[in-house]
Amino acid sequence: MGEKRFNRRDFLRLSMVAAGSAALAACTTAPAPSGQSPQASDDTGAAPVTSAPPQAEGGVISYWLFWNQYADAVKVFQPILQARVAPHTIDIKTGVNAEEVFLTAVAAGTPPDIGTGHHYIDYMSKGQAIEVGDFVATSSTLKPENFTPAAWNGQFYQGKQYGVSGIEAFVRRGLNYNTKLVEEAGLDPDNPPVTWPEMLEWHRKLTKFDGAGNLQQIGYDPTDAEGGLFATSDGSFLPDSWGFEWFDNGSRTFNIDNPMMAEGLETLAEFVKIIGPDNLTGLRSVEGQGTWGGSYNSGVQAMIVEGYWHPGETFHEKPEIAPLNRATWIPVPEGRRGRKVQFGGGHMVFLYKGAKNPAEWAWPVAEFLNTKEHCDAVYNSVGWLPDFKPYVEAVDASPYPGLDFYIKSVREADEWHHPLWCEIETFVSRKYNEYFEKVYRGEMTGADAAAALQQDAEKEWREAGYA
Amino acid sequence: MAAVATIRRRPQLSRAQRREFFFGVLFASPWLIGFFLWTVFPILSSLYFSFTRYDLLQPPVFIGLTNYTNLATDNDFFLVVWNTLWWVVLSSPLGVGSAFLMAVLLNTRIFARSAFRAIFFFPSIVPIIVVSSVWAFVLNIQFGAINATLRAFELPTIPFLSSPDVVKPTLLMIHMWMQGGAMVIFLATLQDVPRELYEAATIDGGGSWARFWNITLPMCSPVILFNMVMAFIGGFQNFALPWLLTQGGPNRATEFFALFLYRNAFQYLRMGKASALAWVLFIVIVIFTVTLFRSSARWVYYRSE
Repeated sequence: MGEKRFNRRDFLRLSMVAAGSAALAACTTAPAPSGQSPQASDDTGAAPVTSAPPQAEGGVISYWLFWNQYADAVKVFQPILQARVAPHTIDIKTGVNAEEVFLTAVAAGTPPDIGTGHHYIDYMSKGQAIEVGDFVATSSTLKPENFTPAAWNGQFYQGKQYGVSGIEAFVRRGLNYNTKLVEEAGLDPDNPPVTWPEMLEWHRKLTKFDGAGNLQQIGYDPTDAEGGLFATSDGSFLPDSWGFEWFDNGSRTFNIDNPMMAEGLETLAEFVKIIGPDNLTGLRSVEGQGTWGGSYNSGVQAMIVEGYWHPGETFHEKPEIAPLNRATWIPVPEGRRGRKVQFGGGHMVFLYKGAKNPAEWAWPVAEFLNTKEHCDAVYNSVGWLPDFKPYVEAVDASPYPGLDFYIKSVREADEWHHPLWCEIETFVSRKYNEYFEKVYRGEMTGADAAAALQQDAEKEWREAGYA
Repeated sequence: MAAVATIRRRPQLSRAQRREFFFGVLFASPWLIGFFLWTVFPILSSLYFSFTRYDLLQPPVFIGLTNYTNLATDNDFFLVVWNTLWWVVLSSPLGVGSAFLMAVLLNTRIFARSAFRAIFFFPSIVPIIVVSSVWAFVLNIQFGAINATLRAFELPTIPFLSSPDVVKPTLLMIHMWMQGGAMVIFLATLQDVPRELYEAATIDGGGSWARFWNITLPMCSPVILFNMVMAFIGGFQNFALPWLLTQGGPNRATEFFALFLYRNAFQYLRMGKASALAWVLFIVIVIFTVTLFRSSARWVYYRSE
């Protein structure tokens, strides 16, 4: 058979050649990062001899955020930031999943240089965030007097500063209500509830059922948005309203099993009992698919406890609901009538362990976040504010109905709270929701739930190695 | 026969055989490397981590059996074990049973048989995220298709996914609806049952029930065993459906073992405890599987035996 066949030996030879070629290809120069042009080679095919452009001296500064909404703002400010960090290239990624991507990258030792990816307490307490006290000391803008004390203090963990306030960092407590629904219920939008009994009265009048007893409208949902938070970087709503701290950062002990916590659980449970626990779960899983504030923006929930961002986000996401929005102080127990409670802190950016030359690369990005260029881009596209006083005090709040309350609240609040940074806050937060559900389903009293939550928190504290 | 007792030596490989072996290993090496790197190494790592306190972000600290002994006083652990056993004990036989029943029905000469086979198989090829979204909208208490119909007639709605008492049976119903994969395996087995056995039984006066009980069932028993084993393993690992539809709620009624493991690993960063949970789950699955195989001697019929 004179026919040429492709036998096994030929196949092996070809494979070796292919593998060798692939290895050689892998050894060639990596493509230039975006924003840089590859160097042209001359006609002779020899290595380029032209001098490198200025960009080649720089590196890539990676800046990650978990928010999706931030992407529109990035389009506006990225060219300005790029010009500031030149000859480096700024690489911004938005919508980075805080667990699957961000946490994995940090755990694997390949974090971004700078970013916001939740898990603040984990990154601070487990040595993954760089202490920024020395950088702050040299900064002309990032100074304590330019921020609310609560927000500034929230950037510290065990006496050291790790966070930098920049994006979505303004105050986080306010009762927002839909004036149209309030008026339809025969209530006066100019006299909103200030105590929980008054709030419950509004809730009763604003919660509606059809003829067959099926839920049509919710007054207030105590599991939604900031009102449903306990033990998070955005604080704990129930203790803020009742006026206590659930975790003592000095003694590292829990203060959950107390009469205020028990009363709070019972009081908030009343709201769910009126709605019907099954109804509430069902409504929240469709109206906005259980998303933060989705039911309010859908016009089927009349009141919501939210941060300053609520007016702006509602304006951009539901412009027909935004003009109906008004904001006021969160309700407090009757015994605390008149207290004006506010919360400072929340989101901040970290410079992550392993960041390349953090003082010269990532730190200028952190400083840029409080400039007018950046703040304008974010405020106009999403409605978010920094905690940076010079910017906030000059901002025009009129586009976003309700925002004015939050800006004034900084001067008027007489009780401030900030994040407590308990290392097992995620666990406590989850258990709070579980026990609260048992209370509103009538399986536990508020006192029993508070005691059980304290017990679980202490057990987890020991088992996680913090005792 | 003293000669037989001589020492057996391993046969020497010829040069060509050695070359063949070398290239065999070389060509299998991508899979072998992947297997050791992505399967064997993580398994052994998780065993080591189960004896440590490990939060992903700091080096693990060896604490011996503490992660295991702590489970004995963990109320959450017993809750998820109860939920998971409830699910496994009911979902496995019901899932396999419904798949077998569907296969038997679709193996008869009915109108538009191929179309029905495709329709019944279809749910098993739809991504779970789509299945969950569709069922969420069908079953929602406020706006779901079923409850909207009930509302239209001024009837009380059914809290399929929002009542702790109803949610588990609801997930069970969806699970049974998704048995197209097992059904196809049963269908292939049913078509392999020799016709002459049915003919002989008919001649002997056996009715349809007798033919089913004495021929169809025994002939399909090896595949029933296979599907049961797969159902048990899948049942213990049940994650996607409850995570997407209920997040373990309402009132923790669907907080299954895998959800609990996930929360400890990726929400509480208790990777050591999560690894211990994974090994407990592995041991339980092995016990169930071995028990099932042992019991198969009594009820599984192999044609070759």
